[in-house]
Amino acid sequence: MADLFERVRDVVVRQLKVDPAEVTPTANFTEDLRADSLDIVDLTIAIEEEFSSEADFEIRDEDAENIHTVQDILDFLKAQGIS
Amino acid sequence: MTRALVTGLGAITPIGNTAEEFWNNLVNGVSGVTRITRFDPSDLPVQIAAEVKDFEPGRYMDTKAARRMSRFAQLAVAAAKLAADDAGLKLTDEERPRAASSIATGSGGAIDTMEEMQVLMERGPARVSPFYIPTMAPNMGACQVSMTLGLRGPALASVAACASGLYSYIEAKMLIETGQADVVLAGGSEAALHPLPIAALANMKALSRRNDEPERACRPFDADRDGFVFGEGAVVLVIESEVRAKARNAKVYAELAGGALSADAYHITAPREDGTGAAQAMTQAMHNCGLTPADIDYIAAHGTGTPLNDASETLAVKTAFGKDAERLALSSPKSMVGHLLGAAGAVGALAAVKAIHEDVAPPTINLETPDPQCDLDYVPLKARKMPIRAAMANGFGFGGQNGCVVFRKYEG
Repeated sequence: MADLFERVRDVVVRQLKVDPAEVTPTANFTEDLRADSLDIVDLTIAIEEEFSSEADFEIRDEDAENIHTVQDILDFLKAQGIS
Repeated sequence: MTRALVTGLGAITPIGNTAEEFWNNLVNGVSGVTRITRFDPSDLPVQIAAEVKDFEPGRYMDTKAARRMSRFAQLAVAAAKLAADDAGLKLTDEERPRAASSIATGSGGAIDTMEEMQVLMERGPARVSPFYIPTMAPNMGACQVSMTLGLRGPALASVAACASGLYSYIEAKMLIETGQADVVLAGGSEAALHPLPIAALANMKALSRRNDEPERACRPFDADRDGFVFGEGAVVLVIESEVRAKARNAKVYAELAGGALSADAYHITAPREDGTGAAQAMTQAMHNCGLTPADIDYIAAHGTGTPLNDASETLAVKTAFGKDAERLALSSPKSMVGHLLGAAGAVGALAAVKAIHEDVAPPTINLETPDPQCDLDYVPLKARKMPIRAAMANGFGFGGQNGCVVFRKYEG
């Protein structure tokens, strides 16, 4: 199975319609990947869907407020026990 | 008072994804009706439709922007861009507040409601798309056209069932005549291909069930007609003030002479059998343009292929035109394009404009067995080269909304 970063990258590419090369761990969603608030909500739903079979978790609004970069999503998922 | 001219044509339809391809297929009698491919129609009584083929939103707009649009808005944006390109429309920042959009629709993003409802029921509220509301709203065709082309004047979105498309031209004419806009991107869009409306219209007995012969299913004015064919698509025309068009030496296809609207005040689906509501719109439309029945050479008929419509429209034309009804040619684009519902009136408008520009009346295909109740000249089977000075486009919607728009040759 693809590693965690690759799976998150694929979701981000699909949802934000960005080039895979742009999706680095430090990429900021609003500044680097041109996402707006609706995109980020949509992205969190897609991330929940992608990993729903591996852990019972939800990205709550207060979690989403701390998600600014790709690395933030990776850290959040690792904290749910997903690797 | 400045005149309103047609200076650009855009179309994404079941018989062509440009106005030129649409027209060539229309004149050659090519049907866009096939077995439904978008979903498996096996358990539906009606398994045919007029689908738009090979539509790639990314060819016309940013793919991320497209993801936030319902298909009807994507089709509208694509048709509007094609029309703007055809017109060679270039707007300065100073001109943008006087550039408008008027994109009518029957059901807007109803298809998104059907799909998101399924998400809600099956996967719960947390999975519902945050884009659902600004995607499904029926004003979004007009708003997305405005956003994409930078039109900062009025953005209008008439909803009038199958007459909707024609309302956009009435509005465009009004905006230009009253000096509220110099350019209006006007038309209609519809994309609601889903088992739900097909099932509902089939149960209403409104749709043709000729599943084995899709190309022969829509047969307006024919004795064996058995209903209309559900379709999708968008048509947008650039309507421009004569002053602006002349100043930039624009190519002009025709003049948007005017039009009129009426309501049957009668029944939720059936037209008045004697066609008086439709006749009133036609008579008033001619009056509003300063024309008489003797001036009209061609009508792009509503011509749905339902038993009721075609008979009542025939009576309406006879009432409105008197003895000129026997002289003029009328035909139904729906025999080939299918019924694009909220975009159907705009399809008729495009057919009327091209008919004037090319001096050709497109045919009514599948009109093989004349119906005694339908005894006018419907240009059966083959297109006809003939002088066309002025042409009318008709549209009649469920609820009894009637729309009628007249175009005429532009002499400069």
